[in-house]
Amino acid sequence: MTANAAFRESSVEADGFRIRVMQAGDGPVLVHLHGAGGLHLTPGHDLLSRQHRVITLEMPGFGASPANTRTATMAELAGTMAEAVGSLGIDRFNLMGSSFGGKVALWLALQHPDRVQALVLEAPAAIRPEGSRPPSGSALEIARRLYAHPERLAALELPDPATQAKTQALVGRLRGPDRDPALEARLRDLTVPTLVLFGTLDHVIPPEMGRYYKALMPNCHLVFVYDAGHLISAERPEAFAEVTADFLARHEAFVINRRPTLIYP
Amino acid sequence: MKVSYFETGRYVPAADLPREWPVPAGACDPETGAEAYRGMVERVRLVEELGFDWVSLSEHHYSPRILTPSPAVSAAWLAASVRSIRIALLGPIVPTSNPIRVAEELAMLDTMAPGRIVIGLLRGTTNEYLSYDLNPAEARERTDEGMELILKARSEPQPFGWQGRYFQYRTVSVWPSPQTPPAPTYILGTSAEAGAFAARHHLGLGVSYGSFELMGQATAYYRQQCAQYGWTPGPDDIIYRANMILGESDAAADAALARRDKTAPFPLNAGLAAALIEADTSRNIAGEKRPANVGNVLPISFCGGPDRVIEQIRRCREVIGAGVLDISLQDPGTGGLDAMLDALDLFGRTVLPRIRDI
Repeated sequence: MTANAAFRESSVEADGFRIRVMQAGDGPVLVHLHGAGGLHLTPGHDLLSRQHRVITLEMPGFGASPANTRTATMAELAGTMAEAVGSLGIDRFNLMGSSFGGKVALWLALQHPDRVQALVLEAPAAIRPEGSRPPSGSALEIARRLYAHPERLAALELPDPATQAKTQALVGRLRGPDRDPALEARLRDLTVPTLVLFGTLDHVIPPEMGRYYKALMPNCHLVFVYDAGHLISAERPEAFAEVTADFLARHEAFVINRRPTLIYP
Repeated sequence: MKVSYFETGRYVPAADLPREWPVPAGACDPETGAEAYRGMVERVRLVEELGFDWVSLSEHHYSPRILTPSPAVSAAWLAASVRSIRIALLGPIVPTSNPIRVAEELAMLDTMAPGRIVIGLLRGTTNEYLSYDLNPAEARERTDEGMELILKARSEPQPFGWQGRYFQYRTVSVWPSPQTPPAPTYILGTSAEAGAFAARHHLGLGVSYGSFELMGQATAYYRQQCAQYGWTPGPDDIIYRANMILGESDAAADAALARRDKTAPFPLNAGLAAALIEADTSRNIAGEKRPANVGNVLPISFCGGPDRVIEQIRRCREVIGAGVLDISLQDPGTGGLDAMLDALDLFGRTVLPRIRDI
């Protein structure tokens, strides 16, 4: 099967925006909010769709959608995305956010803690070292920030310059301060089971940022994915999907290993 | 009766230390950690002077409750610092260990401190499996095979391979070789499997913390198994590890018992504890099914002034058959060090001389 072939495109209206939806699979709903680079399906999405109904939503202003000059804050964007999920007829769901989308996901969970069954944050960008900058520049420069092993990529994807300019302006406006005391204070009360994943070779957000989520959030688990960069689900999809699916199924009990080690019966 | 002191590497936690297991590594104060290990040597020197026969060590992880994640390192630290007391590793958690590594560490210790090492091998409580990612459903079988392999690695004079269910080695030849006679070795556990394994290999059995009656069931099963293998274990073949609250008087001990914290220090999150109990279904005492104990506070088996405690020890000897009493005089991870040192001193002066003939 071709990568991501099972994903079907549709759209949903929410908060005055038309939002592109890509979804595949059956089972418990897993809503995904993408990173600052926009909605890109990865092998990790395919693997997760074997056990989940994976719904990825393109946030307004990303991809081919019209420029979004209206949304003023991450919290507001989170409200829009919550409405989009509701418009799909879904009340409770698992929520995954990658990088920029991780911060949106946190705001969404704070606004609707009863709707979010569990939260997975892939290299979240909600807590950043001072002066951190999103990837920019040439395709190669961006790939070197996003991947631990850009040399293994079959081809470097050149972002469309117009789309890039549009989304960079949006991200620049919404991403907020590197440390947001108001957000961090609220995370202390967010009891939604949360898994934070960082690649050990993340060159966008240092994996050491993971410890802040773990320290702040009362029901948080931190896992480092070895030899992965910022795009864990693209670079180590099997490792990413296994720990994500296991966490979504078992929450804190995912620390109990169930993998057989029998060599010979 | 021989007496062993269970040394836990007393880390005196700050009042604001997080209480849930696993305790954040960043919350460990390095100087308090160093003091815990310096104190370990001082305490063992003290119990050696008081006439204790053994000091025992255990393997626990990711919290300051018992600060000895590696029993071999603990034993080496002590072996270099004390002269005569036996050092009992009770013991390496077998299912999470590389059995050959365990055999090598035991061989090193046995050779560094000839005649002073006692070996205990165990499956470990279910919560320990989280530390090294052991599948609880495999714990029993990995323990049985791992113990068999450790014993083989300690006794086979020729290089050998091992084609197991859970372990595979194409060549094993452990140096240094074990001392002669080999270090006394115990299987630690109350299960039918532990009792039968110990009996088959002519090894001792160590039981812990349960009531005299329950532990008596486990040791009775063990003795019955030994009989089937044609031998009779002596009192020295049975260890009972337990908590003791010893006071100057019964009233003082009873008051200390009443003050005791009813919750275990550094417990697991409740949901996780429940999931672990569900995942580990093979626990039993002498074949009678039991739920796993995950982080419950451990009972006090002996409580009183010296006279009452001595009577209790007498009863323990009768019911369990234990000839080695391995005691904690204070819950690990709680209380002040001075109180524990006072209790050790009191035990050494008032109880120890009067239980030798039990």
